[in-house]
Amino acid sequence: MARVITITSGKGGVGKTTTTANLGTALAMHGSRVATIDADIGLRNLDVVMGLENRIVYDLVDVVEGRARLRQALIKDKRLPELYLLPAAQTRDKDAVTAADMINLTNEMRSEFDFILIDCPAGIETGFRNAIAGADEVLIVTTPEVSAVRDADRVVGLVEAAEKGPARLIINRLNQRLVSRGEMLSMDEVVEILAVDPLGVVPEDELIVSTTNRGEAAVFNPSSYAGRAYINIARRLNGENIPIMELTEQTNLMDRLFGGLFGRRART
Amino acid sequence: MSFFDDLFRRKPASAQIAKERLLTVLVHDRVKLTPEDLAELKRELAVLIQRYIPSVNPDDIEVSLLREDTSDRLKADVPLRRALD
Repeated sequence: MARVITITSGKGGVGKTTTTANLGTALAMHGSRVATIDADIGLRNLDVVMGLENRIVYDLVDVVEGRARLRQALIKDKRLPELYLLPAAQTRDKDAVTAADMINLTNEMRSEFDFILIDCPAGIETGFRNAIAGADEVLIVTTPEVSAVRDADRVVGLVEAAEKGPARLIINRLNQRLVSRGEMLSMDEVVEILAVDPLGVVPEDELIVSTTNRGEAAVFNPSSYAGRAYINIARRLNGENIPIMELTEQTNLMDRLFGGLFGRRART
Repeated sequence: MSFFDDLFRRKPASAQIAKERLLTVLVHDRVKLTPEDLAELKRELAVLIQRYIPSVNPDDIEVSLLREDTSDRLKADVPLRRALD
């Protein structure tokens, strides 16, 4: 029976879709049967991030409205035979689907998969409520910025109110060099402010831009720091006890010399 | 503050400022109390306190929302004048 996990954030542009694609891919690489669902109806993007945009025939709304069977709408990944995408409709809006539809849909899928990852739209309105309706667990993505952390705090409260908590936190795009200089919130500070358990930290990584340009997951690229962080997060999701590890390779010489003495520790 | 204090005082790193601003704004968000509400609360509180302690200067009263490790709190700081006798 699958675990249904919704990836949300409140604020847009913090990396929900990238996180969904990479965690889904990493879990499938480790042998899990994974479905990703794009719940951002009208603004679909998980298909392009996963490089599957040319294979879409049917979408989530087609399934909900009975024009297609689930099996017809699920798109198989190019590389991993146990990874599937259920794309969002692009020409409809959020009201095309209800919370009950999402619960029925995920329940129908549970027996076929180990993980169902739902990419939530930004915001805290209908789209968000639909995306968490069928969830067993919620992951909140934030970046170490005041706007993203503030919105994450709102979502933490809403997830608790919907009895889907406690949510776990993924801190994305952490720049260790800035943290060491005291110019960016550290993981510990974000965790302290939000009072939510962290599942992992993803370092800022320019390779994400090029892997996303190509429609490939960063987890396939062994030189991607973000990719390695996502693999660790996937393993923690899978129940492995992997400490949130220190990431020193990325820092420059000065940070390495002085960061250990005066700076905060970097982890992924 | 002397010239030397200025010279050697390091500007606080922006992460620390971000943290303090966030802690304040999150308490306001959670309590759903706008800064205007808080100002009104302070005005009413000042009137009430002065009824019992007329010597209190309303301008000295500070009312703030704080986020601490284990709890959020509303804090009112009311300085009292020492009696001059």
